[in-house]
Amino acid sequence: MTAERLLLFSAARQQFALNLQEVCEVMEPQQCYPFAGAPPHYLGLINFHGNLTALVDLAGYLRLPGRPLPGKILVIDTRLAHLALKVDAVGSILDAGSITGASSHDDPLTEALLETPQGSVRLLRLATLLDGLEQELQESAPNNAKPGGT
Amino acid sequence: MDMSQYKALFLSESREYLRTIAEQVVALEQSPGERSAVDALFRGAHSLKGMAASMEYGDVVVVAHSMEDLMARVRDGALPFDAGVADLLLEGVDLIDVLLDDVEQERPSTLPTGDYAQRLALYTPAAAKAAAVDQAEPRGAAADAVPSPAADAPAPPAEAEKAKEPVGEAGGTVRVKTELLDHLINLTGELVTNKQRLLNIGRELASPALNDAVSETAKLLRALHDEVMKVRLMPFEAISDRFQRSVRSVAKKSGKEIHFELTGREIGLDRGMLEQLVDPLNHILRNAVDHGIEESGEREQAGKPARGTVWLAVSRDRDRIQITVRDDGRGMEPKAMIEAAIAKGLLTPEEGELLSPRQALMLSCIPGFSTAKEVTDISGRGVGMDAVNAAIQKLGGTLGIESEPGLGTTITLRLPLTIAIIHALVVQIGQVKAAIPVNAVQRTVELSRRQIETMGKRQMFQLDDEAIPLLSLNRVLGLPLGRFPDGILPLFVTEARGRRVGIVVDRLLGQHELFVKQLGRPLSKMAGVAGGATLGDGEIVAILDLAGLL
Repeated sequence: MTAERLLLFSAARQQFALNLQEVCEVMEPQQCYPFAGAPPHYLGLINFHGNLTALVDLAGYLRLPGRPLPGKILVIDTRLAHLALKVDAVGSILDAGSITGASSHDDPLTEALLETPQGSVRLLRLATLLDGLEQELQESAPNNAKPGGT
Repeated sequence: MDMSQYKALFLSESREYLRTIAEQVVALEQSPGERSAVDALFRGAHSLKGMAASMEYGDVVVVAHSMEDLMARVRDGALPFDAGVADLLLEGVDLIDVLLDDVEQERPSTLPTGDYAQRLALYTPAAAKAAAVDQAEPRGAAADAVPSPAADAPAPPAEAEKAKEPVGEAGGTVRVKTELLDHLINLTGELVTNKQRLLNIGRELASPALNDAVSETAKLLRALHDEVMKVRLMPFEAISDRFQRSVRSVAKKSGKEIHFELTGREIGLDRGMLEQLVDPLNHILRNAVDHGIEESGEREQAGKPARGTVWLAVSRDRDRIQITVRDDGRGMEPKAMIEAAIAKGLLTPEEGELLSPRQALMLSCIPGFSTAKEVTDISGRGVGMDAVNAAIQKLGGTLGIESEPGLGTTITLRLPLTIAIIHALVVQIGQVKAAIPVNAVQRTVELSRRQIETMGKRQMFQLDDEAIPLLSLNRVLGLPLGRFPDGILPLFVTEARGRRVGIVVDRLLGQHELFVKQLGRPLSKMAGVAGGATLGDGEIVAILDLAGLL
């Protein structure tokens, strides 16, 4: 783990972290426009400084039971993706020096399970998350609709 | 070929190379062991030589070539990079700069390059030392024998100094990064979107003064947009050379005699569009040679010249680009196309009977369709006409095929001037709005239920004496189906897989001018979506790519 600072947040009653360099902004929930044809955890599109950005409910993507909170939006660095994650709440920024222990995790989406003063935290592997989202979209492509149904 | 149109670009690029070379020379003097800087210097001189050679500026070529040779000796370890080498290279920079001024002013070279090339070729570090001594002493016989750079370069001091100053841009031309242009286009697009918002507000307020102001702003924005788009235009010639090589190569492999004609190479196209046209055009051209044009013997038997001709023509009509690939080959037989599609299970015989000759020719754009007797490795390359058609549609264009058996085939691509701003039909499907580029919409129809006929499992309606199948866009996108309590089904007619189809939506919301934004990861991987756009009220819609969806 090379990240120097991590952003801690929660989704579906679990603590997560992302490398701070991978997040460009934390936003309040904002107007989101539905997007047809994508899996249900795609909440829609938001306008982030002119970039049309997909808003994904992280709990939904992870198949975890979500919480009915207005939550927060984590916008991923626009150089990496046009993606925002809807999470329950955003905690603090954690210096890597504060991590007291790290262990591996079976889930490929989790880079490491970190022991921090805030408790146990799953450090998300963003590249794997993006690959997974893309693969899922490719698999959900409408397959040769046949004319006839109105 | 008239190269004058490229002069400004040549001057601008050359001066940039000169600036880089001068900087590298100075940096190398500080740390002569810097291998990457030596390589960069060599490449700089080499590139400069290549550009000058293509523009036929002989004096510049001679100087740059000598610099390149000198750097090759340094690079290969035959010569240390010392002050003498640096002096000679900087002298070369000055010489070329003066020569470029002459090119810019369209006057003959005022600066003889003299024995510059010879001095570089004969240069040794010892000679440099001697030259340095000579320069320090009053000029004598020794100085005459080995002319110093100063003695050989009669450029006035002001000219030599000029080269050391930051070099200005040539002839009012400025080279900018593509991303800056993209940003400019993005901002212009945002303004176009904002104009729509102002129009909406103007309508709500019913203020004539506001409406006039918005109307005037709209005109100015259109002008601004046109100008900004021009900045991104590049002549078709930027990609046409490879087509000439490609046609020549396929003709050679297939043993055919081909004459290739290209017109409209000067027509400007959007840079992004040009990049995406290379593969489709290459495929169409290779097809024309490989499958369209007959063997010489067959042509002669048919009373044609032994040598076949392929034409590639580019033209512009206001805001549309038309690209035509025509050959005088064997042409395509619509009946044979239908038979082949039936044999491959792509069509039922009943469906085949309904197709017009034009629609039959478009069958070649169905995935898996090929009438070629045998697959060759020449035109195949894994790209079929279906991929070509999809690529053109993705660019907001259309593809048309006309053919006369025995006389040849014409494939016409009609493209927008830009892929950044499009006219689109916005539709409501369930709770979602989506946009369809109008080039993909043949017409809109409001259909009453009694006009719908059921044929087998399919629902059809009659349009222009043609039975057109109906398809629900809601169903395609996995949305709840519309209810239509008033019994009227709104739909638009488009073409999919070579035939017309009526796409039923919940509501037709009208036509909008949209600034297309690409969707980044992960949505860029979603099939059937060409991008997104913001409507005048700030609402975001997806722009559907029907070719990818249906």
